[in-house]
Amino acid sequence: MKKSLLILLGIIMILLLAACSGDDSSEDTGGDTDDTSEETDSDSEASGDEVTVRIAWWGSQPRHDYTLEVIELYEEQNPNVSIEPEYASWDDYWQKLSPQAAANELPDIIQMDLSYISQYAENGQLADLEQFLGNEIDDSNIAENTIEGGRINDGLYGFNLGSNALSFQYNPEVLAEIGVDEIPDTYSWDEYQSMAQQAADAGYFFDNGMQADVFFNYYLRQNGARLYAEDGSGLGYDDDQLFIDFFTILQEQVDMEATPTPDYLAQLAGPEDDPVVEGEGVGIFQWSNQFVGLEDMSEHTFAFGTPPGENLEDGLFLKPSMYFSISENSEQKEVAADFIDFWVNDVEANKLILGDRGVPVSSVVQEEIADDVSEAQQAVFDYVAWAEENSTPMGAPDPAGAGEIIEQLTNISEQISYGEISPEDAAEHFRTQAESILGN
Amino acid sequence: MQTHMKQNLWGYLFIGPFIIGFLAFTIIPIVASFYFSFTSYNLFNPPEWIGLDNFKEMFTSDPRYLHSLKITFIYVFAGVPLRLLFALAVAMLLNTASRAVGLYRTLYYLPSLIGGSVAVAIMWRNIFGDEGIVNLALMTMGIDPVRWFGNPTAALWMLIFLSVWQFGSSMLIFLAGLKSIPQSYYEAASVDGASFFQKFYNITIPMLSPVILFNAVMQTIAAFMTFVPAYIISKGTGGPLDGTLLYSLYLFKQGFEFFHMGYASAMAWVMLVIIGILTSIIFFSSKYWVHYESEGGR
Repeated sequence: MKKSLLILLGIIMILLLAACSGDDSSEDTGGDTDDTSEETDSDSEASGDEVTVRIAWWGSQPRHDYTLEVIELYEEQNPNVSIEPEYASWDDYWQKLSPQAAANELPDIIQMDLSYISQYAENGQLADLEQFLGNEIDDSNIAENTIEGGRINDGLYGFNLGSNALSFQYNPEVLAEIGVDEIPDTYSWDEYQSMAQQAADAGYFFDNGMQADVFFNYYLRQNGARLYAEDGSGLGYDDDQLFIDFFTILQEQVDMEATPTPDYLAQLAGPEDDPVVEGEGVGIFQWSNQFVGLEDMSEHTFAFGTPPGENLEDGLFLKPSMYFSISENSEQKEVAADFIDFWVNDVEANKLILGDRGVPVSSVVQEEIADDVSEAQQAVFDYVAWAEENSTPMGAPDPAGAGEIIEQLTNISEQISYGEISPEDAAEHFRTQAESILGN
Repeated sequence: MQTHMKQNLWGYLFIGPFIIGFLAFTIIPIVASFYFSFTSYNLFNPPEWIGLDNFKEMFTSDPRYLHSLKITFIYVFAGVPLRLLFALAVAMLLNTASRAVGLYRTLYYLPSLIGGSVAVAIMWRNIFGDEGIVNLALMTMGIDPVRWFGNPTAALWMLIFLSVWQFGSSMLIFLAGLKSIPQSYYEAASVDGASFFQKFYNITIPMLSPVILFNAVMQTIAAFMTFVPAYIISKGTGGPLDGTLLYSLYLFKQGFEFFHMGYASAMAWVMLVIIGILTSIIFFSSKYWVHYESEGGR
């Protein structure tokens, strides 16, 4: 009696497990690729057998659309490979990725960001790409320090897809209306504030606030410090006065109504409702690759300016816009690497990508697509080229835990703009929190 | 004996899927999370035993935790009574004889069917937007529009309204309870000249009290575990200013965003204890206000 029960339970267990493992990969893709190759791909050697590769990225609809087209193009040229896409918005993306990582079920190719790459690399989730350079991935037309952007400790854990620089993307018409002719190449924080005052007086917003972690780091760099210590063991600045000064500037912007209040911004349904997009603001401080999206959303034309501060060169740096990483649990690392090669070196593919993931890293691709890019895209390329001449190296990648620190800092800067906490208290608060996160 | 065994075998076969699911997706995770709650576990590296440190950190050095506990209590203690009141009121309305009563019952139950879903939370974002219907209504009444997503307190109340609006399931249970009260009691009371409110306080409430107890317990537990609306409405942030950072949302963030699975497990166990205490309080208090007919209406 007991024995037969055990056998029965065993059989049911096996059946259930088999059923579970059979469909879990097709369930979370959402794509319409068939997974008939599922059974065979684990023991194929990417020779001529059917191979399935999963790829995940974050982004907005235009990015999803052209990425799917690039995948189709790749599948046409490699009929034995089928690629299953998984895509999401920024927030959802990271929340979806972490349980997959815990289950060793990461997609083969993962779009990776600077603020998370250390976390994933140090936990052994990413494959070292060094072995593929010169083999699957042709790096002959790519500058060495571009590739360096994906190096953590002594391994290459992400392939840099392009370069980004911080910029002020402004609407020249509104700028003229507030009585300013042009944004000078360099201007001090005081000049920034007086221009903002002019905008507020004329009934416009000057900008819509600065993303706390990004611009605080920029401000720190201008003052010879960094957000994170070089070895990632703590904060990269000793003097809390820098924190106080920077966030006081941001708070004064809100007070003088040159920047919308946080509750106003929270009420916006999406980026297309932004006052700057609507022509009620001068500009936005953000990364260079976001310029094209801004112009697409708005009926207005925008131009590139620099962020404020006299020590522009110390503050500015070229940042890898994003990476493609290959997961350590992938059984198709060579195929994945081949796709990355296609992504960065294929001209036809890049005519679809058009620098949305940062300025193309291959010099050949950059030249070849020059005629295809729009005026706005060309402006991005020009700005990044200019920034390359006028910046300092980025330095060490963000430490593991950067994601959590960014959330804490954003939270604290929100509290400052709501007037819930003074910049002085916030400085101390942030230091305690950040050090306990980085100390772990 | 042989046939007896065969019969049992079929029984086990049919119940097997449940037992396996229960073991694999309930018992094992519960045991695992109990173990993780005493460890520092980041999902990647093997868990490391740290004793009670997680629990100590929660109550001594994590202001965000205490904040999320506070707003969850507000959410539960404001939301559940409002929801029960609303459900009871509607149930009494629907208990009257009307020709279209079947249609009404379906309509009122509808929000609960789709209640916890993402679609409703997104719709809620539009209803409470700057030019949403709520603000338009406020403006026609001459009240200033409220920035529902920008003000932490308003955002929490928006969540509470959403939970009140999903009263359907408790309403159905109330309705069943109301149906079981013999009409003769009301007739007798009417003969004695009792008013509507006298009938309500002296017949409806006592007769319905076991159902109220059931609903109160179930809704309190459910409210504590609310996650989806807070997640969608705040776009996963719990903002503004952590105003909608409900307990389970913060737990989720700790586990899957900050990779503190040990800490998240500890939070889950504290939540279990809190729910246990609240439920026992409701149960112990019940002997003072719940009346069972079988016990002679004690």
